Amino acid sequence: MLVLLKLLQQLVKTLNSEGTPGQVAAGIALGAALGLTPLMNLHNLVIVGAIMLLNVSFPGAMLGWALAVPAGFALDPMFDFVGRVLLVQTPALTPLWTTLGNLPVVPLTNFNNTIVLGSLVSWVVLALPIFYLARWGVGRYRVTLYPRLVRSRVFQALTASKLYNVYRLFRPE
Amino acid sequence: MRLVRWKAAIPLGLTMVVVAMFWWLLLDHAVERAVEYVGTEIVGARVDVASADVRLARGAGAVLLRGLEITNPDQPMRNLVQAEGIAAQVRLLPLLEKKVVIDTVAVRGVRFGTPRRTSGAIARQSPTTGRVARTVSQWAGRIRIPPLSLQGLTTVVDVSRISPDSLRTVALARAIAHRGDSLRETWRAELTGLNPEPQLDSARALVQRLRQADVRALGLAGARDLVNWSRGTLTKLGQVTDRVKAFETRVTSGVGSLRSQLDGLAQARQADYAYARGLVNLPWLGTPDLSPALFGEMAVERLKPVLYWLNLAEQYLPPGLDPRRQPGPDRVRAAGTTVRFPRSRELPAFLLVYAGADAQVGGEGAVAGRYAVTLSGLTSAPALYGLPTRLAAGRVGAAVGPRTGNLVAVLDHARTPVRDSILALLDGVPLPTVVLPAAGATLSLGSGTVQLRLARTGDEIAGRMSWSSNRVRWARTDSAGAAAGPTAGPSAGRSTEPGIGSAAWAQDLLWRTVSRLTSVEVEVGVSGRVSAPAIGVRSNVGREVAQALRREMGDELNRQEQRLRAEVDRRVEPHVQEAEQRVAAVREQLESVVAAKRAELEAARTELEDQIRELTRRLPVRIP
Repeated sequence: MLVLLKLLQQLVKTLNSEGTPGQVAAGIALGAALGLTPLMNLHNLVIVGAIMLLNVSFPGAMLGWALAVPAGFALDPMFDFVGRVLLVQTPALTPLWTTLGNLPVVPLTNFNNTIVLGSLVSWVVLALPIFYLARWGVGRYRVTLYPRLVRSRVFQALTASKLYNVYRLFRPE
Repeated sequence: MRLVRWKAAIPLGLTMVVVAMFWWLLLDHAVERAVEYVGTEIVGARVDVASADVRLARGAGAVLLRGLEITNPDQPMRNLVQAEGIAAQVRLLPLLEKKVVIDTVAVRGVRFGTPRRTSGAIARQSPTTGRVARTVSQWAGRIRIPPLSLQGLTTVVDVSRISPDSLRTVALARAIAHRGDSLRETWRAELTGLNPEPQLDSARALVQRLRQADVRALGLAGARDLVNWSRGTLTKLGQVTDRVKAFETRVTSGVGSLRSQLDGLAQARQADYAYARGLVNLPWLGTPDLSPALFGEMAVERLKPVLYWLNLAEQYLPPGLDPRRQPGPDRVRAAGTTVRFPRSRELPAFLLVYAGADAQVGGEGAVAGRYAVTLSGLTSAPALYGLPTRLAAGRVGAAVGPRTGNLVAVLDHARTPVRDSILALLDGVPLPTVVLPAAGATLSLGSGTVQLRLARTGDEIAGRMSWSSNRVRWARTDSAGAAAGPTAGPSAGRSTEPGIGSAAWAQDLLWRTVSRLTSVEVEVGVSGRVSAPAIGVRSNVGREVAQALRREMGDELNRQEQRLRAEVDRRVEPHVQEAEQRVAAVREQLESVVAAKRAELEAARTELEDQIRELTRRLPVRIP
């Protein structure tokens, strides 16, 4: 519960001020890979490494992951279709898959599964649109929505409540 | 702004180390689960491993599995095989390509058919094994085992159960009559359309004119016109004659077809006799024996596992190098489809080069002794390995008596068509106990010999499976003894003679027949498509029962048979006669008419030709 609260707090902080909109958006785009593709695969280890190593927002990545998980489940039939088209119904690609399938390490990524390949390709295609959309969204949020939110009675009532005190308790200095 | 957070490299490295350590610690468990998962997928029943121990060193891996139990898919409370320990040498580098190559496997403490503490049935079979199991079950369901019921043989046969609509002869006769009517109407209309009468009349009139023609009065030009006109008429007459001839050929052929269908009614009637016999439980003693009725179910049950494993081998050892599809792994997300892309001169996804097992069956029983089993070339891509899979098992030391046991199976899926052969000879194995409800008896085959010889090429399978025993024991079932009453048992005294056809008589007859037999041989022939072959069952028991029936009640059965045939004839005959009349009508009304018309046309044509020739002969100059 504390971890969740902490994560929530980080998220709010990230959206509000920490990091540039570009960093947050890049984190969201990378985190989306964790949610869109089946988690327990080798490529996701690379994605996690990239999130940690690259100067992108970590809470943003967590937000991208959280938002993409339900989308991943919902889009599984589409991923299956995309993967099937690429793996089975495109004979021109068969030599490529055959080569990849007989290389060391590559088969451990399970690229030859329709869901894995379909979701990974879909994420690669969607990564840039997600990035730009998120960057625009975070920017707009900070300029327009957040000031209004701060001025709203609900927010002021909330900040005056005990819940906010709990939030402040875990707020990093 | 920097692109890389270098200070995160150390936490990242630590994370990777933790992941690697976690994987290392869980490797044994992962291998255990993988063997159980893959084994269950292949076998179609639970495969359990008590523990797994994996050691990786210097380019080779040693895997030690303990307590392997493979459930018999047909008997979930028994293990097909149980092994105390399995030691395998696994190549490490192919694992990076997600390929499992096992150089050697040594198995110890193998036992067969051991009981399980918990059921090994699985709730949801994999699509592959589930499909194979369903195919084999459907095949078994389609096999029609003829019933053997001698009860009520000599009671009045209820022939009213024979419905005319169910008789093939009636349906065929109706179809012939209908076709005869249809053809007659069609041909009649066609003949009307041909209408040769105007041509005939014109030809006759012309012949008359030619006979009376005076060359001098006509003059050369007139005679030439007459000849040319006559030749034109002759040509038209010839065309009409050809059309009528073609029509006559079709009519003759159609009538011939109808007549051959009429001849086929005799064959249909024989089938109707057999059908009616089945309806009134009248056994047919003309066949060699009654073995299918006695041992059909046993044969199907014993063949089911053989077909199951053969079909499964086809699924998991496919020929060729085409991409193979299989369901993806079980996970919370959708499984999808996993496609494998084998490539020539590469290693297959799974290869077991050689496995050897020394199996010891303890005790003093008939199967007790030592067995040696070797398996080589088991692979998921036989075309890559290039050699057939060989399984050989043999008894190398028997605990009791001169027992032998050999099994050799060669599955050549390296090229198409696939060729499988199985040869097994097992002596001194416990044979099943067969219940024969019709005889009110159980047959305990004791220990005996099982022989299996199967050869498969492509989709076709042919083979033979036989059981023989020289020390069989017969026992009456309790219900049979009660039904038979005082006549039960071969030595029982007969205070009252049961009437022929009664339940007691039937059971008594069968019991007296079979209980004298001390040796039993059952042979099952298999042929046809491997997914649904046809079977034929033969046994000395069936032959003996048929002969006994012939002896005891041959006359009675013949009388009932005659009565049955007469009833079938009575129901069928009017329809057959009707069909014959319709066909005769077609012949009379069309075939003969068309033949007469064609003869008339030919005669007119000949006459016209003669007259033209006569006229031209009388002319002083030759007309071209």
